[in-house]
Amino acid sequence: MIEFYHVSKQYVKNQYALNDINLTIEKGEFIFLTGASGAGKSTLLKLAFKEELPSKGQILIDSFNINLIPEKKLFKLRRNIGIVFQDFKLLTRRTIYENIAIPLVIRGERKSVIDKRVHSALSLVGLTHRRNYIPEHVSGGEQQRVAIARAIVGNPKIIIADEPTGNLDTELSIEILKIFERINANGITIIIATHDKNLIKMFPKRVIRLEKGRLISDWSKEEIL
Amino acid sequence: MSLIRTSLHNAIKNIARNKLISVLCLGIIAFTLLIYGIFNYISFNLNLATREFSKSIEAIFYFKDNVDINRIENLIRRVKNNLLVEQVTFNSKNQAETNFTRQFPELKYILTEFKQSPFPASIEITFKLEYSLDTKITSFLDEIERMNIIDSKQLNTEWAKKIMTIKKFISIVGLFLSSILLLVSIFIIYNVIKLNILYRKDEIHILKLVGATNWYIKFPFIIEGALLGFFGSIMASIILFGLLKLFPTYATFMFDLIKGMINVEIIPHFIFIRLIVLGTAIGLFSSLFSTQHFLKT
Ligand SMILES: Nc1ncnc2c1ncn2[C@@H]1O[C@H](COP(=O)(O)OP(=O)(O)O)[C@@H](O)[C@H]1O
Ligand SMILES: [Mg+2]
Repeated sequence: MIEFYHVSKQYVKNQYALNDINLTIEKGEFIFLTGASGAGKSTLLKLAFKEELPSKGQILIDSFNINLIPEKKLFKLRRNIGIVFQDFKLLTRRTIYENIAIPLVIRGERKSVIDKRVHSALSLVGLTHRRNYIPEHVSGGEQQRVAIARAIVGNPKIIIADEPTGNLDTELSIEILKIFERINANGITIIIATHDKNLIKMFPKRVIRLEKGRLISDWSKEEIL
Repeated sequence: MSLIRTSLHNAIKNIARNKLISVLCLGIIAFTLLIYGIFNYISFNLNLATREFSKSIEAIFYFKDNVDINRIENLIRRVKNNLLVEQVTFNSKNQAETNFTRQFPELKYILTEFKQSPFPASIEITFKLEYSLDTKITSFLDEIERMNIIDSKQLNTEWAKKIMTIKKFISIVGLFLSSILLLVSIFIIYNVIKLNILYRKDEIHILKLVGATNWYIKFPFIIEGALLGFFGSIMASIILFGLLKLFPTYATFMFDLIKGMINVEIIPHFIFIRLIVLGTAIGLFSSLFSTQHFLKT
């Protein structure tokens, strides 16, 4: 469970990237976070895994206030969250295989385990044939799928994806969304920031809409239908 | 285990990537350790020399004229019983005269002027090897000298003392130079690691976001520092070894004092071990420092 209590974020004084956000996300939910560019979607996601700190308010994950997590223990939080970054954040000097393996390597998993899980993640996003390429030698859409594979490879409890289909055509976007649905079916919480209205229409889920840093609507799946 | 292996791998890759910086860094570390090693070697040899000189500590006490023979015999008995003493020999006035004429037969005529031998009687004391330059010996000698039958003494410990003074001086100079160079080395490694951290800032940020521990991120840099120190010390050791092998050729051109004092045959291995341990430790601590400073968040 993820809870936001009166959370505000100001990068610059008197400019609210997020303004008094209250939000509860239950375990196993599938959520679209939407809004125009600059509405605060990325900021809200970054606060959840503590890449950014809130200027005000509290964020709780499984009833634990993440403000209180010391820097040294932060890795525990992040190992439970698979993140697809808007700018992918792939390691430029590593192959696609190595990039996907990172969450497992840093946990000290055995090579055989890593190999098995990376290969299944690779085939899930359809990139097996690209495994030995470095990111800059594949297309934007493929890099995005590498980012997705890396986010899911470590079996996180929560997946946070920031515009994960931004560089994909409709067909592939649907494919990726189906993968997320399948993961979600295993009880994993999925939060996807997107401004793709068609996608939201095709996959009826709870939709949270931001506008200029404020939460302006929160429609459940039933309401959408 | 795999963390160590990947860290080593990455560290070596990093060192190879920044060739210029790495070579510079290694050169300075090697130079530092070489200087340190050379001073160690000189100090080691001076120690050997001191030990060599003080092996044969002898003291000669000259008696005053007309001292009661009983008192002399008493003293000889006392000296003989002392545990430090190897050997005591008594030289009477007449024996001293005979020795003199044997050594300088052309001066024999001088002695005809005297009714009695002009040379004082003396005892010569040799000390046991294991007590060389022991303070107990010094105090024992002082004790004898204070007796009223003794006129004067002659010691051969002067050389040993001189060498000790030289050694102290060289040690201080060596320590001073080594400390400065040591600081330079620490500074260099610290900054090389800092540059590497800054160079890989994005990568570090990503690794943290996907859940790497601080230790996991620090470790490769620390290993890299240790490796720099280790390779630097290996370089220094090789150069020092070469110098010591070449040294005998040059030693013949040196003045006698040095030639007499330095035993070119012995290459003390402990110095190399010291260099390598010190080099690796410098690398380790400098990089630890650096990561502590530059990997805060
Ligand atoms: N690091 C930053 N420094 C300053 N302003 C920022 C920073 N990141 C985001 N912002 C500002 O915060 C607001 C919200 O940005 P963001 O969360 O990226 O929106 P979205 O992801 O919905 O496009 C924008 O006005 C943006 O300019
Ligand atoms: Mg964004």
